[in-house]
Amino acid sequence: MFAKGTSNMQAINALKWWGGMLLAFGLLGASRLVLPLPFLNEVVIYSVYAIGCNFLIGRVGYISFGQPAYLAIGAYATAFYLFYFGTNPYVGILVGVLGGLVMSLVVGPLFVRLRSDYFAMVNLALAVIVFYLMQKVLVGITQGDNGLWFLTRISSTPVLDLTRPNHFFIFALIVALLVWVFYKYLDDSIYGACCLATKVNENKLQFLGYNNFSIRLFAFVIANTTTALAGAMYAIYLGFVSPEMASPSRSADPVIVTLLGGVGTLFGPLVGAIAYTGMKDVLSKMIGNWELFIGFLLVFIMLVADKGIWGSLEPVLDKWLFRKKTATAINDPGTRSND
Amino acid sequence: MIRGHEAMISSQLLISGVIFGLSIGSIYFLLAIGLSLCFGLMRIISLDQLLYYSLGAYLTYTVTLMTGSMWIGVLAGMAFSGVASLAVERFIFRRIYARDPTFSMITSFGILIGGVGIIKYFWGVVPRPVEVPTLIQVGIFGTEIPVYRLIVVAIACVVYIAIWFFLHRTIVGKAIRAAIEDVEHVEGLGINVSRLFTITFVIAGALSGLAGGLHAPLIMVDPSMGLETLAFVFMVVIIGGLGSIKGTLISALVVGQVVSLGSIIYAPMAQMAPFVIMLLVLLIKPTGLYGSAVISR
Repeated sequence: MFAKGTSNMQAINALKWWGGMLLAFGLLGASRLVLPLPFLNEVVIYSVYAIGCNFLIGRVGYISFGQPAYLAIGAYATAFYLFYFGTNPYVGILVGVLGGLVMSLVVGPLFVRLRSDYFAMVNLALAVIVFYLMQKVLVGITQGDNGLWFLTRISSTPVLDLTRPNHFFIFALIVALLVWVFYKYLDDSIYGACCLATKVNENKLQFLGYNNFSIRLFAFVIANTTTALAGAMYAIYLGFVSPEMASPSRSADPVIVTLLGGVGTLFGPLVGAIAYTGMKDVLSKMIGNWELFIGFLLVFIMLVADKGIWGSLEPVLDKWLFRKKTATAINDPGTRSND
Repeated sequence: MIRGHEAMISSQLLISGVIFGLSIGSIYFLLAIGLSLCFGLMRIISLDQLLYYSLGAYLTYTVTLMTGSMWIGVLAGMAFSGVASLAVERFIFRRIYARDPTFSMITSFGILIGGVGIIKYFWGVVPRPVEVPTLIQVGIFGTEIPVYRLIVVAIACVVYIAIWFFLHRTIVGKAIRAAIEDVEHVEGLGINVSRLFTITFVIAGALSGLAGGLHAPLIMVDPSMGLETLAFVFMVVIIGGLGSIKGTLISALVVGQVVSLGSIIYAPMAQMAPFVIMLLVLLIKPTGLYGSAVISR
């Protein structure tokens, strides 16, 4: 951007940088007064789950149907720690994130060499394989479809006691805010621009002296580690994991949340998570046939409204809030949609 | 691994395992060929083939109950799958051919999930059995083999030969092969490309329906059967290389054998081994065994 001027301008920019996120998560926190807690917890976890997918689709151009694999890896790593070894939930979450990191470092170098269509298929196959792995192959330690129950084994911790839903919500909110700050920082950095460039024109980027492979690998690892973090939070929140997490019929969930919110936008995953969880809570009781609804919703979004909720709302809001500013100053790369 | 005094039993196990693998591989081939053809010609990843597979199996179940003959059921399933794929092609895929292949993947996944919902609405969630049409067994090298599995393999062979003749000996097939190479040129010659697309898609859908109908007596028919088979079909397509029929055939046979023989050695390995093979193939050749390295469009 071209705001190199006074400190006043810098302050405004800083406010703009932080303001949106603080406002969004503040609103989410405040909505605790009117909305039920389980719904909000689900929304926060889902938004963290979807932001990795959003990054992969919107920035790198990889459609990832394999996110449930990393979600399940994160959740199971946490569950193994809490079920077999320790009791501290924070260490459990760290173990989960580490599990996701290791997993994505192992499969990443292999996957990111592939063309985007092959990537999508291989990743979906990975999700199914992780499902089988947890359900049948490792049945000795995962207890198959029965799942691992460890809610009572989680110990209370002094400051934020994760066994209490209220405290968990605050913790999840803080984690989500940090994740958002990280992703916004990433978007604004040169690295974020490089990611976008690999999506738009990888040959040109290579010509400029950047390494497409390492850019993609880094993006892949970041996105999937975030997903594993969501998985770890899920495991702590529910106190229970089962192979159902990685089931193939749920592999479209993060993609739907991302598309619903708006691909490549900063707040898309959050808006999408609210809309998706809301619909799930309200509509699935009304219709009872969730898959039918989700399938048609997906086709509808793809054919008619591929900008998503936030993607079509953001320009309107910008126009309304910053009417006096020039159009170019507002138009940051975050508003770009995936065509 | 196999000790001497068990060799007699093991060789029988081996032969039945190979035949089992051939029949599974045949079904994967029938399914994967649709995906592969659709990618080759239209540059779409058509996950909804798995929906036509489930629809074919369910129609086979219903019509078999009504008429008593499983073969009429398979034909009905195939016809219904063809009609369903025609409708989907007309109303949905027409609008997205020009887009990125991954775009079609999301859309077709939506169709697949929605279709599972429709199946649940009409047939419920309870798994349904389909009776095997013939219980005759034949002896091959002293091993009793159900004749039905041999019929499945024979049908897949017939389909392969028919597809080969269609693509190499008929004018429409030749146009399809030309369009796989360069669609603009074919369009410039005055050939109706959108009709070629429809024909290919309906053939793919009907073959998927045939695969579902043939698979139905070997497994239980349940709503999520498409999603369960998805990963294996993917592996077949990826190992063989998208867009190549020969590659699809070879990798379907390989994956079938690995699934079948793997489950004899150690049951959970049946699911994992094809995946490992796929990773190894991708490590050596990122586009699969017979896949082309560049997309011409």
